[in-house]
Amino acid sequence: MSERPVHELIKELERVLVQLSDKVRQNFFNALHAVKHQDELSARQIRQVDDEIDMAEVNLEERCLAFLALQQPVARDLRTIVTIIKINDDLERIGDLAVHIIDRMPEISPDMLVSFDFENMGVCAGEMVKMAIQAFISKDRTIADQVCALDEEIDVMHRTVFKKVTLLMKSPDSHVDQLIAALSISRYIERMADHATKIAREVIYLVTGEIVRHKGDFYGNLINSINT
Amino acid sequence: MLMTTDGLENTPTAFIQKSTRDIYLPPARKKISGGGTPHIVAREFSVYYGQFEAVKKVSADIFSKYVTSIIGPSGCGKSTFLRSINRMNDLIPSCHTTGALLFDNVDIYGKYTDEVLLRKKVGMVFQKPNPFPKSIFDNITYGPRLHGITNKKILSEIVERSLKKAALWDEVCDRLDKNALGLSGGQQQRLCVARTLAVEPEVLLLDEPTSALDPKATAKIEDLIQELRGSYTIMIVTHNMQQASRVSDYTMFFYEGVLVEQAPTAQLFTNPKDPMTEDYITGRFS
Repeated sequence: MSERPVHELIKELERVLVQLSDKVRQNFFNALHAVKHQDELSARQIRQVDDEIDMAEVNLEERCLAFLALQQPVARDLRTIVTIIKINDDLERIGDLAVHIIDRMPEISPDMLVSFDFENMGVCAGEMVKMAIQAFISKDRTIADQVCALDEEIDVMHRTVFKKVTLLMKSPDSHVDQLIAALSISRYIERMADHATKIAREVIYLVTGEIVRHKGDFYGNLINSINT
Repeated sequence: MLMTTDGLENTPTAFIQKSTRDIYLPPARKKISGGGTPHIVAREFSVYYGQFEAVKKVSADIFSKYVTSIIGPSGCGKSTFLRSINRMNDLIPSCHTTGALLFDNVDIYGKYTDEVLLRKKVGMVFQKPNPFPKSIFDNITYGPRLHGITNKKILSEIVERSLKKAALWDEVCDRLDKNALGLSGGQQQRLCVARTLAVEPEVLLLDEPTSALDPKATAKIEDLIQELRGSYTIMIVTHNMQQASRVSDYTMFFYEGVLVEQAPTAQLFTNPKDPMTEDYITGRFS
């Protein structure tokens, strides 16, 4: 059976979302790279791309709202559009985080950055976003569960940074401003992972119709089951 | 899985046995006082036209004072099922039924069931408004007169009460003696609802009541259904799925005579359990 125009339209909205996610993820990586190399030119480009992301986010939301008003979808079509709107919002916020990282650039030296493993942390968080979007594309709950479980790893990395910053601040010759900037960057990456987890949870809703936010120790149990 | 819905004080604990699993059916909207118990019960209920089984072994509970919509493609048996509740199908010579269909725990097709009394308790409104070519007053009082009420004062009270319930009183109170055929289509349909309410039924069967009406008249009928919800058990057959989702607490999906799925409307339209229901309501049916 060939797809009806209404379902083609949903697929088109999905495609736009995936393209936006690629752009957001790339901009985030570029932000980490620009900070590492103190690259002012890249920093400007990152801000420009974020403006494009903002416009794309508004455009996609408008298209989704028009779809809701005109097509009045139900069941998985409704869940798909609602999920696209929510993921769209998460992606825009990840885009903002890239700019926040750039904002910290003047406050932190490359030497200080090297002492923290932000590159690895950023790659892990970026991979979570990639997996969450893959889960959305393939409507795969298993991948979404994996993303949720990975969030704890990023949290551990962030806590490690926090402990290290706390320790270094106790030193009399510490660069407090730089350490606070480093802690902020760690938090931005950790928040990116949180958004990836949120996307994964939206995918679980899309696939099962079940809202799994605020479900007690659901993910604690999930992590334990994966670890054991 | 037990589901709860916002705004509920309590949830009826009615279970329907379908296949091998139990389905818990909480009301989809605000709880109705005294509602939630099965008013009409079907068990392995089939309707035949000659050899053709139009409704196939349907088992379902229709909850008291809630609105239940029936959706499905043309020829799926939804109207046949609806019409069988007040034995309208008796008019078709080749029609016969098997299984059980109970109204207030009484077998609708029982040997000693009084069809006239049944139809007084189970009123019906049809797709096309069908007022009698009489005055508005006479249309409303037709049923009560048939049931022996002749006192003019009582009849006048019935007319006013029924028209008010049908949200038509304000529009026609000054022309009750005028011919009902002079009303607009939407007014005629509400008059038919008022005529049904005049004999104080417990159940209202609505067979595509708005399919011949414009959006404004449709909205009035839908508002009326919401007004009557809580006072009557209402069943509505509709091809308009947005209408089903707007007005009903529960929805039944029929396909080829089979009750595929029955669930709280909010659940059925956001997360149907059966792939056939999903395909139908999302327009993926081949």
